[in-house]
Amino acid sequence: MTTQPDTDFNETELEPELEPTNKIAAIPRGSSRRIAARIVHSSLVQPAASRGRPMLSRVAESMYWMSRYVERAEHIARIVLVNSHMLIDLGELEQDMQEKQWLGVLRILRLDQRAEVQETIAAGKPLIGQHVSGFMTSESNRSLISALTKARENARSIRENISLEMWETLNTLYWSLLGDDVKQRFDESPEEVFHSVIMGSLLFQGVSDQTLPHSQSWQFIQLAKYLERADMICRIVDTNFDILQSSGDFCETPLRNIQWMGVLRSCCSIEAYQRKYIGDLDPLNLAAFLLLDAESPRNVRYSIRAAKEAIAGIAGSVHTTDTDACERILGRLAARLEYAEISELAGDRLKPFISKLQASISEASNAIENAYFLH
Amino acid sequence: MFDQYQLNGIFDEMFEASSTPRAHYESVFGQLAELSNSAFQRRRRMADLSFRNQGITFTVYNDDTGVERIFPFDLVPRIVPASEWQVIERGLEQRITALNMFCHDVYHEQRILREGIVPPELIYSAQMFRREMLHVNVPNDVYIHVCGTDLIRDKDGNYLVLEDNGRTPSGVSYVLENRAIMKRVFPALFASYRVRPVEDYPYNLLQCLKELAQFRVDDPTIVVLTPGIYNSAYYEHSFLARQMGVQLVEGKDLIVDNHFVYMRTTAGLRRVDVIYRRLDDDFLDPLCFRGDSILGVPGLMTVYRCGNVALANAVGTGVSDDKAVYPYVPAMIKFYLSQEPILNNVETYNCQDKSDLSYVLENLDKLVVKNTNGSGGYGMLMGHKSTKDERDDFAAKIKTDPRNFIAQPIVELSQHPSLVGDHFEGRRIDLRPYILYGQKPMVMQGGLTRVALEEGSLVVNSSQGGGSKDTWVVEDAR
Repeated sequence: MTTQPDTDFNETELEPELEPTNKIAAIPRGSSRRIAARIVHSSLVQPAASRGRPMLSRVAESMYWMSRYVERAEHIARIVLVNSHMLIDLGELEQDMQEKQWLGVLRILRLDQRAEVQETIAAGKPLIGQHVSGFMTSESNRSLISALTKARENARSIRENISLEMWETLNTLYWSLLGDDVKQRFDESPEEVFHSVIMGSLLFQGVSDQTLPHSQSWQFIQLAKYLERADMICRIVDTNFDILQSSGDFCETPLRNIQWMGVLRSCCSIEAYQRKYIGDLDPLNLAAFLLLDAESPRNVRYSIRAAKEAIAGIAGSVHTTDTDACERILGRLAARLEYAEISELAGDRLKPFISKLQASISEASNAIENAYFLH
Repeated sequence: MFDQYQLNGIFDEMFEASSTPRAHYESVFGQLAELSNSAFQRRRRMADLSFRNQGITFTVYNDDTGVERIFPFDLVPRIVPASEWQVIERGLEQRITALNMFCHDVYHEQRILREGIVPPELIYSAQMFRREMLHVNVPNDVYIHVCGTDLIRDKDGNYLVLEDNGRTPSGVSYVLENRAIMKRVFPALFASYRVRPVEDYPYNLLQCLKELAQFRVDDPTIVVLTPGIYNSAYYEHSFLARQMGVQLVEGKDLIVDNHFVYMRTTAGLRRVDVIYRRLDDDFLDPLCFRGDSILGVPGLMTVYRCGNVALANAVGTGVSDDKAVYPYVPAMIKFYLSQEPILNNVETYNCQDKSDLSYVLENLDKLVVKNTNGSGGYGMLMGHKSTKDERDDFAAKIKTDPRNFIAQPIVELSQHPSLVGDHFEGRRIDLRPYILYGQKPMVMQGGLTRVALEEGSLVVNSSQGGGSKDTWVVEDAR
């Protein structure tokens, strides 16, 4: 069963369809939207496709969400891991600042509006790392476990369409987080658990690239992965810049640097950045590197271009009339990022810039759904 | 590890007499007897891990929550010599041929009913008799394309047919996976045998399905229809689709328009010619059968009756594997083929028959009573292990609805060594070979041996805690 976008989150107005789902099949397939789509237009009935075998819409949808959830799990693991490490370094940091930092993590993961978090804050209890990371390994919605569970559920429903190696990689990762020893592993070293998820995701991507033919299925995987990545980086940059810029001179420079490095680490970009801007942690360069760099695979511009290439590949092999909507959106966005001035990211201009980016990504996701999943 | 092995006074597959293995088991016995417990356990763990990581699981329903389990795998292989297998093979071919002729007859001329060989009331009262299929012609007049027939051995080692599964038999994927795992963890055991391969089953199934295509025979679109990821046999549906290289579809992926079936693809709709459906008749088409089914495809039956799509197995085969029809299979074989049955039935009492009914009610403690449409080991009474209350309860059920119950004497299934704790013990087994029928019958060279893992238990169903073994058909020693 495909994991559907959910509607029950009270969440930023920017990405109604982008943020996917909490429940498996929150919208049952028989709902009115789906039934309406069952009316057949004879123009849609096509003779055998000229290039390769066509792909079931349901399979395409599951392929897409499988990939998004794997990417998401990797980001969740990395963000929580980086923050726990950083707060060890910032040991003597004021309670106030610690809490702000964790609230930022929750905001990135879209968890800050949840009842239990709100209650903790309202009750004046400290919001501590143990709490957050423990939560991420629980089975509740939007946790690491739930992202992996949904990735595997989607993979399980399309096993005959992915390679055996992909399935085994994902399935093994899933079971490694559900074994009886997980709690103990987590207590001993949360890092080991989070790290295994990050490496598992990277392994899955490599295995996919090397075992699955680079046809439509693989293109959907790429598309989903890069859209998810672009969105996550936007969230990380947006939230962290908010926190760091609003705190003014609150903390001293050494601590500040550690925090900026945390942002880069959360985006898996610290080494690449340091090689490019040796010893310079200027916020503007940092934002430019995460949003506009042409070479690093861990930034928005690169991700959007890769997603655009994937959708072009899909549209090219399909040829239906309204498929280019998504290609157009991503094409415009790619051009926008390619020709952006760094000054557009300075100061107050950063936030609206990211908001527009996120809106376009969300628009692109909707266009994909309409063109390929809702026949 | 064989030190405490007991023969229990029933037919033992491996041993002729205490510590004397049968000729075809000598090599396996020799190797297992020399293996230490820890070496054997290591292999068992390897096999379990392999099953889990590959996701070879089935779903058990308990309190409405499905739990994914691995199918317990027993590492001691079951061996059938080719000479013995030849008889089984001929017997199965004969049986599926007769069953197919019976289905065709029941839905057309009904000669067998008119001549009084099978009582008409038995057919018309069968839950699985589909009036919708009367005078509908199916490709090649074949109804059962895939059949799983359960065989058991009595205390003298004779193979008997326990039941036919002519609707949507499952388990074949385990035959292939069990073999793959055996090769991985116990390659040495194969050394002195020539084991017939089973890996060609998906290929043969695909050929069989291709033969059903009425149009576009050069390149038909074939799909496997599954009830979905939550079905207990989902793994198998996916496995077969993957092995055959065809699409696995759910009901919602298909759509009927103007008397054809299409699947929804990213490039629009694509016509489907043959559906290997792993969905019961009841759920196939809500417009024709159960209206509350959301698993099926509305309008599919109309397309089917027009001959614009082929289904395997055909609709309505349930009439031939109804347990109350089962006692008449030997008579069918004589009637249609003028042959004597090669494989015999287990003696069966039909509760619809008055004298049989009174015998059954008097001897409930010595019989196995089965619901004629039950499966998976549900809805049956094992007389010798039942309490008085259970028997009274069943007697009442039988009296209200005698048509739907049969009874059989308790057959002592053969036993086979299984690993129990740190040593081997005898456990009861059965055998389910798979038969394909395209233009002619073809029997898979192997099958699923199911094991009742509990001591003394006679119920081998996976839903009741049974396990399985790799099953080898071996060429006779020269």
